[in-house]
Amino acid sequence: MFSSVEDVIKRLAEQKYLCTKHVATVVYLACAMRKPVLVEGPAGVGKTELGKVLASALHLELIRLQCYEGLDEAKALYEWEYAKQLLYTQILKDKIGEVLEGAQSLQHAVERIANEDDVFFSQKFLLPRPLLRAILSPEPTVLLIDEVDKSDTEFEAFLLEVLSDFQVSVPEIGTLGATHRPFVILTSNNSREMSDALKRRCLHLYLDYPDPDRELEILKLKVPGVGEKLADEVVHLLHRLRKLDLKKKPSISETLDWVRALTLLQIERLDQQLVEETLATLLKYEGDIRKAQKEMKDYLAERKAKIQTAVVTSDKDLLH
Amino acid sequence: MDERIVEFTHLLRRQGARVSLSENIDAIQALGIVGIEDPSMFRDGLRATLVKRASDIRTFEELFDLFFLGLGASLRQSERDLMDRLSLTPQQYQHLLEEVRRLLERRQNLSPLARALLAGDLAQAERLIRQAIAQEELGQAGGQIGVALYLRLAGRLALTTVEEELGSFREMALAEPGDGDKRDRLSRYVEHRLQDLSRMVRDLLRQELKKRSVVAPERERPEYLAHKNFAYYTEEDIRRMNDAVTRLAQRFKNLLTLRRRKARRGRFDLQETLRKNLQYGGVPFRLQLDRRKKEKPEIIILCDISDSVLNASRFMLQFVYSVQDLYSKVRSFVFVSDIGEVTRLFEDNDLQQAVELALKGEVINVYSRSNFGRAFELFYREHCSAVSGKTTVMIIGDGRNNYNHPHDWVLKEIQRKAKRLIWLNPESRWKWGFGDSEMPRYAPHCDVVEECGNLSQLHRVIERIVP
Ligand SMILES: Nc1ncnc2c1ncn2[C@@H]1O[C@H](COP(=O)(O)OP(=O)(O)O)[C@@H](O)[C@H]1O
Ligand SMILES: [Mg+2]
Repeated sequence: MFSSVEDVIKRLAEQKYLCTKHVATVVYLACAMRKPVLVEGPAGVGKTELGKVLASALHLELIRLQCYEGLDEAKALYEWEYAKQLLYTQILKDKIGEVLEGAQSLQHAVERIANEDDVFFSQKFLLPRPLLRAILSPEPTVLLIDEVDKSDTEFEAFLLEVLSDFQVSVPEIGTLGATHRPFVILTSNNSREMSDALKRRCLHLYLDYPDPDRELEILKLKVPGVGEKLADEVVHLLHRLRKLDLKKKPSISETLDWVRALTLLQIERLDQQLVEETLATLLKYEGDIRKAQKEMKDYLAERKAKIQTAVVTSDKDLLH
Repeated sequence: MDERIVEFTHLLRRQGARVSLSENIDAIQALGIVGIEDPSMFRDGLRATLVKRASDIRTFEELFDLFFLGLGASLRQSERDLMDRLSLTPQQYQHLLEEVRRLLERRQNLSPLARALLAGDLAQAERLIRQAIAQEELGQAGGQIGVALYLRLAGRLALTTVEEELGSFREMALAEPGDGDKRDRLSRYVEHRLQDLSRMVRDLLRQELKKRSVVAPERERPEYLAHKNFAYYTEEDIRRMNDAVTRLAQRFKNLLTLRRRKARRGRFDLQETLRKNLQYGGVPFRLQLDRRKKEKPEIIILCDISDSVLNASRFMLQFVYSVQDLYSKVRSFVFVSDIGEVTRLFEDNDLQQAVELALKGEVINVYSRSNFGRAFELFYREHCSAVSGKTTVMIIGDGRNNYNHPHDWVLKEIQRKAKRLIWLNPESRWKWGFGDSEMPRYAPHCDVVEECGNLSQLHRVIERIVP
C-alpha cells in the first residue's frame, strides 16, 4: 500500500498519471481506512484512469465492472454454466449403473444419487463475474466499478450489500466471503444522484477539469514530442472553451486526441482554418461548435494582436 | 479537536448537507491518519468523509475557512509579531516562555484565562473565550459587534480582573533580580499578551457572529418550510419545495428499492429445476428461475386545482411522476368542476413543465367554482373503466363542494373496484365538515384519509401511499 500522500503522487506519476495533493490525500485515506472511493465529475477527467493506474501502481490485479442500464446480479456476480451442467447430467446418466451398483434397496439407491447431486451445488459450475472474482481472488485486487450511475437503483441496492461485507450467498452453495477486501473505486458521471446509503459507505472525491498548468503537464507526459508552443496554445484555448456554456465541454481525453492528431500532422501553431476543420474532434454538438467557433476567432485575433505589439516593441528595441 | 469536528458537522447540516453519524466518525478517523498539521490535508480529509454531493462542496469550503483557518492564522501571526518585536530567535523565545512559566509557578491565585495567556497557551485561552461566547445570546446580528454585547462578554470573562492580573504579574517580573534586558523583555511580553487578549476576544466574537450569519437566515433553511402551509407559499418557497420534493422522491425510491430487495429472494432454483426435468430423464432442458416478480401497481391521481389546494396538487403530481418507475402505469387528472386528463402532458414535456401546464388548466376551465360531485360523476362516466384491482386511486382536494350535490356514491364505486382509494386533504383536519366541506361524506369510502398541508405532513403520508 502507499506509505504517504507524497508516495501516492510519486507512484501514480510513474504510471503517467498526474494528480493533485487533494486527489492523493483521498486515495491515501481510502487505502488506510479500507474504504471505497466514489469518484464523481464530468466525463473525461480521469476517473476511470485513476482506478486503472491505482492497480498498476500497487501491482494488483484490476477487476473492472462496467455498469449499464439493465445490468443485473447475474452479469455482475455469477452465472451457472448450464452447458457444463448438462454435460455432467449426461455423464451421470451413463454412469448410473456404476453408481447404483450394489445398492441394497431403493432408498439406498436414491441416497446415492442424491450424493451425486451435490456436485451440482459446487463451484465447478459457477461462472464468476467481476464481483465474485474480486471476492474469490486469493490476492488483493483493485475493483473498479465504472459509471455506477448508469446502473439502476435495484442494482445499486445490491451493490451496497456486497460492499458492506464482501460476502455473497449463493443459495445452492452457501456463503462465499472475501479473503482480502478489494480496494474499490466507483466512478460516476452524475447522470443521477447515488443513494445516501452508498455515499455514506464511501469516501468522496470530486474530479474537475485540471487547471491549465496541470493540463499542460499531462499533455507533455502523454504526448511525447508535442511542441511547447502548440501545447500551450491548445491548453489556453481549451480553458476558454470550457468557460463557455456548452452542452458537453471538451475533456482531457479530447484534448489529448486533438493534440495527438496535430502533432502527427506536424503542426506547430493553431490557425483559423485548421481549428475550424478539426473542431468536430473536440465537440460533439452542432450548437457547441458554433459557440466555439466564435470563441476561437476571438482567441486567434487576440493572439495576433499580441504578436504584433510584441513585434513593434522589438522593433523599438532595435532602434535604440 | 473531536468536539470542534462535531460542531463543524452541525454547521454543515444546518446548511443542508446531509452528514450522518458514521461519517462524523469517519472524519475523526481520517484526521487520525492525515493529522492536523498540514492544513490542506486536514481539509481534504474532512471533505472526503463529510461531503458527498458536489453541490455541497462550496458550502464546505466557505465554512471550513471560517471555522478552522481564520483564527489559527491570526494566532500564529501574533507569535511571529512577538518574536519580531522583541527581536528574538525561536530558541530565545522558548527560553523566555520557560522563564515566564517558572514565575507563574509562584503565583497560585491567577484566573485560568490570565494563566493561559501568560503561559502562551493561546489554544486554551481561545477555548475559554469561546465557552464564554457560547453562553451569550448573540441573536441574529449580522457580523457587527454590538457594544452592549461586548460589555456583557467582558463582564462574563472578568476582563478587568484578567488585565489587573497581567499588570501585577508584570510588576513582579520587573522586581525580579537579573539583568535589565531580561526584565524589559518580560515586561514587553506581558504587554503583548494583553494586546493578544483584546484581539482574540474581538476576533472570536466576530467569527462567532459570522458563523451564525453564514448559517442561512431563517427562510433559507429547509426546516423552515416543514410546517408552513402549502397555501401560503411564495414563489421562492415553491422553487425550494420543488428541490425538496425531488430529493424526497429520490431518497424514497432508494429506500423502497432497498426494502424490496430484502423482501425478494432466491434466483436459480436448482432443486425445482431437477424435479421439473425428471420428465426429460434429468436433463435440464427447462430451467426453473425463481423470479416471481411482483407486478407493479398502477396509480390514478385526481388533483383539485382550485386556488386553495393548487400547491398541494403541484407537489403531489411532482412526487408521483418522480417515482413513476415504481408503477406500471400512471394516469393523472385535474378538476375543478370539469375534469380532464393530463397524462399526455407528462409524456410530452419534462416534469417541471408538465406540472405547470397541468395546473394552468389548459384542459379544463379553472375559473369555475369547485364542484367535486360533478367532477366525480364525470370521471365515473368517462374513465371508470381505467380503475381495476391493480389501481391505487389518489384524490387531492379539500372536499369543499360549494353546497353542490356530493355524489359520494362514485367514491363508493371506485373503492369497490380499486385496490386502494386514498384521499389527501391539504386543509387542517379540524375544519373538515364545517361549511361546505363534504369530508365526512367522502371519508368513509376511502381506505386512507390524511391531512397533507405542509412538507412534514407530506413526508408522513408518502410512507403510506406508495406501494
Ligand atoms: N491526471 C491525469 N494524468 C494523466 N492522464 C490523464 C489524467 N486525467 C485524465 N487523463 C487522461 O484522460 C483520458 C480520459 O480519462 P478517463 O479516465 O477515461 O475519464 P473519465 O473516466 O473521467 O471519463 C485518459 O486517456 C487519461 O489518460
Ligand atoms: Mg470513465
